[in-house]
Amino acid sequence: MNANETLIKVENVQKYYNGGAIKALDGINTEIKKGEVVVVIGPSGSGKSTFLRCLNLLEIPTGGSIYFEDVDITDAKTNINTHRQRMGMVFQHFNLFPHMTILKNMIIAPMKLQKKSQAEATVLAMELLKRVGLEDRANAYPSQLSGGQKQRIAIVRALCMQPEVMLFDEPTSALDPEMVGEVLEVMKQLANENMTMVVVTHEMGFAKEVGSRVMFMADGKQVEEGTPHEIFTSPKSERLQNFLAKVL
Amino acid sequence: MAEWLESMQAQFELNFITDNRWRYIVDGLAVTLKVTLFAVILGIAIGVLIAMIRSTYDKNKKEMRPGFGKFALSVLNGICQVYLTVIRGTPVVVQLMIMYYIIFASSNNKVLVAVLAFGINSGAYVAEIVRSGIMSVDGGQFEAGRSLGFNYFQTMRYIIVPQAFKNVLPALANEFIVLLKETSVAGYVALQDLTKAGDIIRSRTFSPFLPLIGIALIYLVMVMFFTWLVGKLERRLRNSER
Repeated sequence: MNANETLIKVENVQKYYNGGAIKALDGINTEIKKGEVVVVIGPSGSGKSTFLRCLNLLEIPTGGSIYFEDVDITDAKTNINTHRQRMGMVFQHFNLFPHMTILKNMIIAPMKLQKKSQAEATVLAMELLKRVGLEDRANAYPSQLSGGQKQRIAIVRALCMQPEVMLFDEPTSALDPEMVGEVLEVMKQLANENMTMVVVTHEMGFAKEVGSRVMFMADGKQVEEGTPHEIFTSPKSERLQNFLAKVL
Repeated sequence: MAEWLESMQAQFELNFITDNRWRYIVDGLAVTLKVTLFAVILGIAIGVLIAMIRSTYDKNKKEMRPGFGKFALSVLNGICQVYLTVIRGTPVVVQLMIMYYIIFASSNNKVLVAVLAFGINSGAYVAEIVRSGIMSVDGGQFEAGRSLGFNYFQTMRYIIVPQAFKNVLPALANEFIVLLKETSVAGYVALQDLTKAGDIIRSRTFSPFLPLIGIALIYLVMVMFFTWLVGKLERRLRNSER
C-alpha cells in the first residue's frame, strides 16, 4: 500500500437514536489516509467518541458506509472481526484484562487470532514493552500499575496485533495530570513512526504538535476540518472560535 | 456420667455394629455423593448454557439485525424463561416425584432419576448466578475484547467468563452446599441416600438419637470440608490479582 492511499473512507455516516429524534452523528464524510494523524476535537456530546467507535463498529451506524482498506465494513455480510484485528483501539478507561498478567494481556489476541506461538508473540510483546519502558512489569497484574502505566500497556497491547490504524478514544481523560505526559509521549513516538492514527482528545497541545489534520465536531456534525495551523490560528466558524476561546 | 457413657456405647453397638448396620450409612453416603456430584455437573452445564443464551439475548437484542438469528435467539430465550419460571416456582420434592412417578414411571433407576431431578433443579439457580456474574463484568472488558478482533464467543470464553466465574464463586459454592443437603429428600422416591439410611436404622432400633445425630454430623463435616476447599480456591484466584 502506498503512502497517501486512503485507509478509511467515511461516507455520510449517521447514528440516530429514538428513530431520528437524537442525532449523535449527522452525516459525517471524511477520508483517512495512510500515515495520517487525524485529531478529532469538540465539546462533550458533540459525537466525536461516537464517530471514533463507528470506525471499528463498536457502534453500528444507522446510515452511511465506512470503507476500511476498500471493504465496506458496515455491510452486514462483512465479517467485522477480521477487520478489527487490523484496527487497534485504546479506551479512556484502559480496559486491561484484570485476570491476566501484562504479558498475557498482550499475547492473548496474537496467539488466539493470529495463531502465533507463545514464544513468537512474547518476543514482539517484550520488544514493545521495552519501547514504553515497562519490560520489568511483564508479570505484574493490571491492578499493580498506575493509570499512566496502564494506558501505555493498553497502547502496546493493541500494537501487538500489528494494526494498520490506531484509534484513540480520549486516552488521557481518565489520567492524573502528571501521567498525561508519559502517554502522549508514546503516542507521539507512534506518530513519528508513521502509524495511521485517529485521536479523540481534549489535549489541544497534542493536536497542534502531532496532528496532520484536525477535525472539529459539534452537535454530531463536522463543523470544520483543516491543518492544525488553520484550525487553531484562523478558525472560520463561530462555533469553533467559541470552543477555542474556552479551551485555550 | 459413666452410666451415660455406657448407655451410649450400647446404643452405638445397637445402631451401627449389630447386623452390620453401618453398611446403611456407608452405602447411603455413597448414593448421596454420587447424586450430588452428577447433579452438580448437570446443573453447571445447564446453568452456563442458559446464562449464555439469556445474557447474549439481553446484550444483543437491540443491536441485532432482524432475521433468522434474532428469531432463533428470542425463541431460545423464551424457552429459558419458561424453564426458570417453572423450576423456581415449584418445590424440588414435587419435581422429584413427578420425575420418578410420571416422567420415568417405567424406569427403576432411582439414582439416575434423582440426578436428573436435582440437576435440572439446580441448573435454574446456577443459570441466574452465572448470568449475574456475566452482567457484573464491566462493559469495557467486552469492548476491549471485541476491538482486538475476538468474536462474541471468544470474548466470552477468554475475557468475560473467567472474570464472571471469580465474581460468583461464593454464590456458586452456596448453591452446591444447598444441593448437597437438598438431596436428603431423595427418600421420597425410596432412594436410600444418607438421610434415608439414618432413618432406616432408627426404624429398626427404635433409638433415634445416634443415627440422626450421626448423619447430621456427616453432612456437617462434608459441608465444612467443601467450604474450606472453596475458600482456598477463592484465595488463590484473588492472589493472582495482587
